[in-house]
Amino acid sequence: MTQDKNLPEWKAQKTYTQNRADSELKATLPPLTPEEEARPFAKYYYEPLKQPDPAHYAAMEVPIDPAGAFGPEELDRMLDLKRLETQEVEVGWCNLPNGAGFIANTIVYPDVTAEMIDWWFVWHTLEDLRYRIWYPPQHAGIMLSPIDRARILDPDIPMREKNWGVTHYVTENCDCGMENVDISFRSPKDMGFDMDRFDKVAATFAGGGGWAVTVCKCDTLITAPAIMCHMFYKVPGGLRHRTRFWMGYRFTEDGKPELCLPPGVAVPADAVQGLARHNVKEFTRFGDFLPRIYKELGPSLYC
Amino acid sequence: MPIKLMAASRRRPGLTRAEYFRYLEHYHGTVARLERFKIDRYIQNHVIDGAFGVLSDTSHKNKAVDREGVVELYFSEFRDMLDTLEPQGVEQSRANQDGKFFADEPTNIIVMAEEVELPVSNPRPKFNPGLGESGCGAVKVLHYIMRKPEVFPNDYHKLWRQAHDEAMAKSPYAQEMFRKIVLSKRARVNDNDAAARAHFRMVDPPVYDLVVSITLDSMEQVGAFRQYLEAMQESPLDFADWSESFFLYVRPVRIIDDAPPKD
Repeated sequence: MTQDKNLPEWKAQKTYTQNRADSELKATLPPLTPEEEARPFAKYYYEPLKQPDPAHYAAMEVPIDPAGAFGPEELDRMLDLKRLETQEVEVGWCNLPNGAGFIANTIVYPDVTAEMIDWWFVWHTLEDLRYRIWYPPQHAGIMLSPIDRARILDPDIPMREKNWGVTHYVTENCDCGMENVDISFRSPKDMGFDMDRFDKVAATFAGGGGWAVTVCKCDTLITAPAIMCHMFYKVPGGLRHRTRFWMGYRFTEDGKPELCLPPGVAVPADAVQGLARHNVKEFTRFGDFLPRIYKELGPSLYC
Repeated sequence: MPIKLMAASRRRPGLTRAEYFRYLEHYHGTVARLERFKIDRYIQNHVIDGAFGVLSDTSHKNKAVDREGVVELYFSEFRDMLDTLEPQGVEQSRANQDGKFFADEPTNIIVMAEEVELPVSNPRPKFNPGLGESGCGAVKVLHYIMRKPEVFPNDYHKLWRQAHDEAMAKSPYAQEMFRKIVLSKRARVNDNDAAARAHFRMVDPPVYDLVVSITLDSMEQVGAFRQYLEAMQESPLDFADWSESFFLYVRPVRIIDDAPPKD
C-alpha cells in the first residue's frame, strides 16, 4: 500500500472535530484554494453543468400516490425487473402512510459502465474538491475517517468492495440548506438483498444508511436518518440507474430497517421534495461527466 | 432488534445510599411494573463501588464523579421507547414524576444503545445455584468509555475492539473470570434525545458512545477487571479519554423481565 502521507489522497485527512468545524466554512462554498486549482480535475469545477430534462424535473413537482410506493422492508422489489418496468413508480416522491419519506428516480447513462460507477464512488471520497466537482452548486465537501481512508486506498480490496462498511462524511445541500450527512455504505448482502437474485440482475450498487443534520447544529435540531439505494442495471449502450430513498428509516445494529419517527410525525414534504430534486440534478450531472472524467483519470485512485 | 435506554443517576440531596436503593427498587420499580407502557425488560443496577478518571489525574476531570444507580430499559423498537417516555394521552407518567424523589436529575446521564455480545473464553457453567442463573452473575462492571473528540465514531468502535482483544490477551485472570461481555453501542437516534432529556431532566449531559458490561461471579473477582483495565489504558491506540471515563461495580436487580429463568 502507498503510505506516502504527502500525497494529496492522504494529506486530506482531518480529525473528526476538525472536519466538523471545517464544515461551516465548506458550507459557504468558498473559491478553490491555489492547491485545489492545481489539481488535474479542477477544470470540472468550472464547466457548465448539464441541466435536467425539464419533464423529468417537473415530475418531482407534486407528490405521487403513496399506493405506488413501498418501504425498505420490500427492498427486493428492486430486483424484479418486470415489475420495475411495468408497474413501479420510477420517478416521484411522497410520504408513506407511516410518515416516512419515499423517493424514486431513474436515469439512463449512455456510455457508462459498472466499473466507472464503482471507481467514482471510491475516487470521489478522497478530497473535498473531488466531491465538489460532482455538483458544484450544492456539494461542499467530504471526509473519511483514517481507518476508512486506509481501506479505500488498500490495493488488495476490490474497487467494488472498498466502500462496504465505510462512512462518507459529506457536506451538501439537498435543497433544504447545507447539512452534514454521514452516509455509512453497506454491501448488498448487508443492505438486505436476496443475493441469489441480486447477482442475476444488478450491474453494481451503492447504498446504505445516512444521518443528516444542518451544518450549524443547535441542541434542539433533529438528526434525520434515511436509507439510500442506488442500483445500476445494464441496458444497451450503458446503464440504467434506479434510486430509492426512505427518509425516517435507519438500519438497526443487526441490519434491519427500522422507522424511527415519533408516532404521528411525518418527514416534512419540503425535505422529501428537496432531496428528490437534488437527486435529479446531481445525477443528471453525474451521467454527463462520469465517462469523460473516468477516461481521463480512472481507474487509478491517485492523481 | 431491541433498543435500550440506560440512565445513570446519583442520589438526590438528603438520601443515604441505602435509602436511594430502597426507594429505587421498591417504590420506583413498582411504579414501573404498574405503569409498564411498552417496556419489554427493566433491569436496575445498584452501584457497589466504582472509580472515575485515572490514577494519574490529580483532580477529577469527569462530569460524572459519583453514580449510585444505572437503570436499563429495553424496548422492541425505538418508537416504543418514545411511546413510553412520552405516552399518548398522559400528561406526565408516574415514573416521570417520581425521579425527583431519589435522583439528582440534572446530572443524569443517558445512553440509547443497542447491544452486541462478545465471545468470552470461559463462560459460566450452565447452572449453579450458588452463582445465580447462567449469564446473570452477581456482579456486573459497567465501563463507560469516553471517545476522544477527534476520533471518528466509526473508528472508535474498531479501535476499542482492537485494544480490547489485545488487553484480554495480556490479562489471564480476566480471561478466566469474565463470564459475559456485552457492548452497549450508542445508537445515533440518541442525537434526538429531547424526550429522554425531558423525562430524565438532564442538563448538558456528557455523551458516551460505548458502555461495556462485564459479568463476574462475585465481588471477589473484580481484580480481574482491574488487570484488564490497566492493559486497556496502556494501549497505544489513542481512542479514549480515560480521564472522562468511569467504571461501576453493580448488583443487577430484575424489575421487569418476562423471560423464564435460565438453567
